[in-house]
Amino acid sequence: MPDVNLTIDGHRITVPAGTLVVEAAKTVGIEIPVFCYHHKLDPVGACRLCLVEMSPGPPRPQTACTTPVSEGMVVRTQTAMAVQGRADILEFELANHPLDCPVCDKGGECPLQDFTFRHGYPTSRIDGPRLHFKKPIPLSDKIALDRERCVLCYRCTRYYDEIAWEQELTTDERGVQSFIASQFDQPLKSIFSGNIIDLCPVGALTSRVWRFESRPWDMTHTESVCSRCSVGCSVTLWQRRGQLVRVTSHENDDIDEGWICDRGRFDYTDVNDPSRLRTPSINGSRSTWADAIYAVAAGIRGKGAKLGVSLPQDITNEEAFLFRKLLDGPLKGAKVKMHGRTAIPAPKDELMKIKEIDDARVIIVVASDLEDDVPIVDLRVKKAVSKRGAKLIVVYPDGVDFDRHPGTLHIRNAPGKAAEEVRKLASHEWLKNPGGPVGILFGDGHGSEDIADLAAACGELAEKVGGQRMALYRATNERGALASGVAGWDKLDGVEALFSWGPPPTAGVPKSAKFVAAWDHLPRDGYDKAVVLPATTFAERQGSYTNLEGTVQFLRPPIHVAPPLKEGWEVLCELGAALGVALDYEGILPIQRAIGIQPPAPELAPEPVLVGPARP
Amino acid sequence: MAELRGSFGDQPHHILTSEFGTTDLHKLSVYESKGGYTALRKALLDMAPADITNEVKTSGLRGRGGAGFATGTKWSFINRDAPGPKYVVVNADESEPGTAKDRYIMENCPHMVVEGILIAAYAVGANQAWVYIRGEYDEPHRMLTEAIAEARAKGYIGPRPFGKDFPLDIRLYRGHGAYICGEETALLESLEGKRAQPRSRPPFPAVKGAWGRPTLLNNVETLATVPAIINMGGAEYAKLGTAKNPGTRLLTVSGNVRKPGVYEVEIGKTFRHVIMELAGGPPEGRKVKVFWPGGSSAPVLPESMLDMTTDAEALAAAKSMGGSGGVIVMDDSHCIVKAAHRLLQFYAHESCGKCTPCRIGQDWAVRTYERILAGEGSQVELDTLQRVSDGLQNGRCLCGLGDSGGWVIDSTLRHFREEYEDHALRHTCNVGKVAVSA
Amino acid sequence: MKLSTHVLEEIKELPAKYPQPRSAVMPALDLAQEELGYLTPETMTEVAEALHLDPGYVEGVATFYTLFHLEPIGKHRFYVCTNLSCMIRGAYEIVDHVKRQIGVERSDQVSADGLFSFEEVECLGACEYAPMMRLDHRYHYDLTAEKIDQLIAERRAPVPSPRRGEGQGEGLKRSPTPLTPTLSPKGEREKKPRAPRKKKSDG
Repeated sequence: MPDVNLTIDGHRITVPAGTLVVEAAKTVGIEIPVFCYHHKLDPVGACRLCLVEMSPGPPRPQTACTTPVSEGMVVRTQTAMAVQGRADILEFELANHPLDCPVCDKGGECPLQDFTFRHGYPTSRIDGPRLHFKKPIPLSDKIALDRERCVLCYRCTRYYDEIAWEQELTTDERGVQSFIASQFDQPLKSIFSGNIIDLCPVGALTSRVWRFESRPWDMTHTESVCSRCSVGCSVTLWQRRGQLVRVTSHENDDIDEGWICDRGRFDYTDVNDPSRLRTPSINGSRSTWADAIYAVAAGIRGKGAKLGVSLPQDITNEEAFLFRKLLDGPLKGAKVKMHGRTAIPAPKDELMKIKEIDDARVIIVVASDLEDDVPIVDLRVKKAVSKRGAKLIVVYPDGVDFDRHPGTLHIRNAPGKAAEEVRKLASHEWLKNPGGPVGILFGDGHGSEDIADLAAACGELAEKVGGQRMALYRATNERGALASGVAGWDKLDGVEALFSWGPPPTAGVPKSAKFVAAWDHLPRDGYDKAVVLPATTFAERQGSYTNLEGTVQFLRPPIHVAPPLKEGWEVLCELGAALGVALDYEGILPIQRAIGIQPPAPELAPEPVLVGPARP
Repeated sequence: MAELRGSFGDQPHHILTSEFGTTDLHKLSVYESKGGYTALRKALLDMAPADITNEVKTSGLRGRGGAGFATGTKWSFINRDAPGPKYVVVNADESEPGTAKDRYIMENCPHMVVEGILIAAYAVGANQAWVYIRGEYDEPHRMLTEAIAEARAKGYIGPRPFGKDFPLDIRLYRGHGAYICGEETALLESLEGKRAQPRSRPPFPAVKGAWGRPTLLNNVETLATVPAIINMGGAEYAKLGTAKNPGTRLLTVSGNVRKPGVYEVEIGKTFRHVIMELAGGPPEGRKVKVFWPGGSSAPVLPESMLDMTTDAEALAAAKSMGGSGGVIVMDDSHCIVKAAHRLLQFYAHESCGKCTPCRIGQDWAVRTYERILAGEGSQVELDTLQRVSDGLQNGRCLCGLGDSGGWVIDSTLRHFREEYEDHALRHTCNVGKVAVSA
Repeated sequence: MKLSTHVLEEIKELPAKYPQPRSAVMPALDLAQEELGYLTPETMTEVAEALHLDPGYVEGVATFYTLFHLEPIGKHRFYVCTNLSCMIRGAYEIVDHVKRQIGVERSDQVSADGLFSFEEVECLGACEYAPMMRLDHRYHYDLTAEKIDQLIAERRAPVPSPRRGEGQGEGLKRSPTPLTPTLSPKGEREKKPRAPRKKKSDG
């Protein structure tokens, strides 16, 4: 469809057909205030805040968020009718809104404050008792609800219904008595619940983890990558006084589209744990770095297969590269186990990208409960089905959340028989003429499937129906570790020495280990008899991860590595020196160059858009 | 059943109600003996769908639910040839205060409604019609259920009505207590099993209505008029009433009148005729003070305007509207401020809560009225009422419920300023004894 | 109280009758309420499970519509219209009389014998018979105190004949005392004294 020309407040602009007036206005920096409108949700025109005058049109203000542009349209946002309309609506919103700003966490990044200042009346005509609710209501142990502050924009319930396909958050009652509630006051259970905090335009939905921690202007932040699973959503990490105080989404349309799951959003408090390890120690006594590294080297040198190496799921590409060198040299023969990895081997060819799910006409999910394994990919599939009409086939033994959609075809295979079912699909009528790309997302069924057979079956199906495969790795940097060849799968029973990079193995320290060394950030049982090097967390370390689709993304820590802490790659270089291998890298850039990756030049932060979820 | 109060029996202007009062008119055999279902037969067998729509256009019939949109034009918005199912949805949610006409029709002659629905469905290419009936209408629901069963047994509803290869079906869906379901798109939301909150338009129901399909929504009385139009012809129907607002309509007259009832009136008669002659005027010793010409949502008119005619144009010129035809008459023994307060309580209670101005504004007005009526008022409260009224009108709200609250405040303030000032500024009421609000 | 098997089966058959399954939620809640008298969170959850919906969704729908009752309402509920036409023909006096005769003050209370409750409702669409009300799925017109007394007396000493809407289901619990709502508290208006208005002379 051809582009459309229109005029907004005298500016002549050209935008793609179908653009909403409120978005068109943003292109020339004109702010039309909105509450209920969100660019990722279907527009409803509920709050009436975006009233503007449009011609051709009736002699009344209209909502800019529900009206698409039309050729030759003239939009005026500053006429008396529009200005008064918006001021009236803001005054209505404030009629019952409590004067909580001094104690409300949203203050300083609150659209209601900002819009009232920019678009509202300078003085209040409100007099008389306000509507009161019990507050705050714990919606879960992470989210608090304040019903008095709520402006009933319904972004939260619409998000739940449209994006997450769940209705555990609901609106009760009617009219001015309406309020948001969790179903029958039970705690919210969804892994996607935290996004409502970012969505809420006022301080009604707030993070209990971040409650009363800081004002927005007291924090600095960086755009980084989440380190909790293989999807690698873009996140904004906020720090204050050397602590990581909160995590919010930094919208990346290629991967997460502005949503993050609760693991990424709330599982960061260990970064600020006061018992964090800061200095090296040998058998419980403080030591110097030199002594500790020599002790580690002495303990793991020349052990061959009697050495066990445990690697974390979020090992960076740079650390993995250095480990490869160690494992090829002085640590040759060691048993290596990486946390959290799937049974899926390294890919041999290009795999499907997450954003390509949008265009798929048929999506097939095999041997994985996406909500659990790769939550944000789950949301992307839901969007493709409900907003873009894709058909969905699930091959999995148990119920999954996709079953909520009546159109989902769910084949419940006996465990181990997934490949068989996939082969049968080749003759399914939906795949005869899919009318576009087919996406085949396959996991490893947490070990219940023969992965080689399944991968082959998916590959055959993809060829037959014109599809692409996406392998659902789970560990954060599983692909990076596979590329470096350190994504080990060995059992660590019977080793005499254990070197744990990151937390101890999930199965525990092997009883046979007489020597234990660890690079870890928290004290654990048994560290008083081990050599312990203090580790950085994802909030401090530099490096990169490769997500499940193969995109390399770079961490940007908001917190400096404060001595005596050292960067992981630095520690590995020194360890290499102690083991007799020359890992002479002076910085992280030479390592990255050696691997063949290069971080992009940082974007200059665009002018902040003055509407939408909490943004810096 | 209770005695009929209103029009019935053969009179030249009794297009709908001429047979009302006949024993067992709700039975198909009796209805047919009075000429029932000849229009359906004619429409199915002798007319093309486009002709049916044209006949309705010629008749000048306008929606009888409240908005008064030209019915034939509305029918023509449905693209009959578009593939996939289409629906007719009948708005039997009658909840506008002062309105009982749809109940009157459904209780006395449910087959007339059924016939009208089937003709409309055939005209717009819909094979299935859904009647959304308010949950409190137990008796009309029962009568419609029986009428539909009778029609089904006779084959008028089924795969080949009158032998025509066009399946027709009617289903019933009960509402559960929400005035907002009378609004088209809120009704559709409720039909889809959701909280009844109106949708933004566009898209309009004719394009994307019930369950995402093209849908024709019409009021009960509108559809009940269709058989008569088909039988007598649109041009003949248009001879009644006024040029721009032809035909007859059922006006529910209630309140302080001696003979409240549902009266079929040729459009264009005066309210004086309707209120004083048909409904007998106010009780002995009292005078008409104010009347709502079309349900509580129609801006009020004072006694001095009793000679206003009942057609849409005249009412629009007087800044009011014909609305649902619910004529509420209040005499001089009642207080206008208390009446307005009660009506704003109604709108606040029925507000769906979706859009900010209605959700907050109706309630804010109620609280302001409470202060005024408690003797705590002042000029500030009067200004607040005006401010709320302005904030509810002129496109601020998502649907007409918001505007209606605004119109109650606005029109009563305009015509009865002194009574408001008595309460707000002088803390007194100069009207006779009034019922105390609970 | 759980829903009986046959009602649950009826509910499970509902989705197929509509173009989209969610439309079944209103008739399903109606069936549940007809059997058990009112809707508790447990009942709404049962309905939700039978329809493969989230309980939160059903809760949202049930709390929106006034005919769905989430608290006990006794066996016979007086739905008395007090909207304009009825109000100016004495509806409030009728309401007061009903309250006195059944012995309750508020609409969330049930009479001591568990038989009656009342509610002021909006226009019921029978304005030519004002003042009027709905009781036991029937409309009652031209109300007077005497008519109210008669209707109450009939129900206190019932004639054993099947009447629609009356106490289906054996062993229905009747609450003799007012219960607190089982859902989150609704918004309440705080009765604060108003600040004295500043006179112009105060500057």
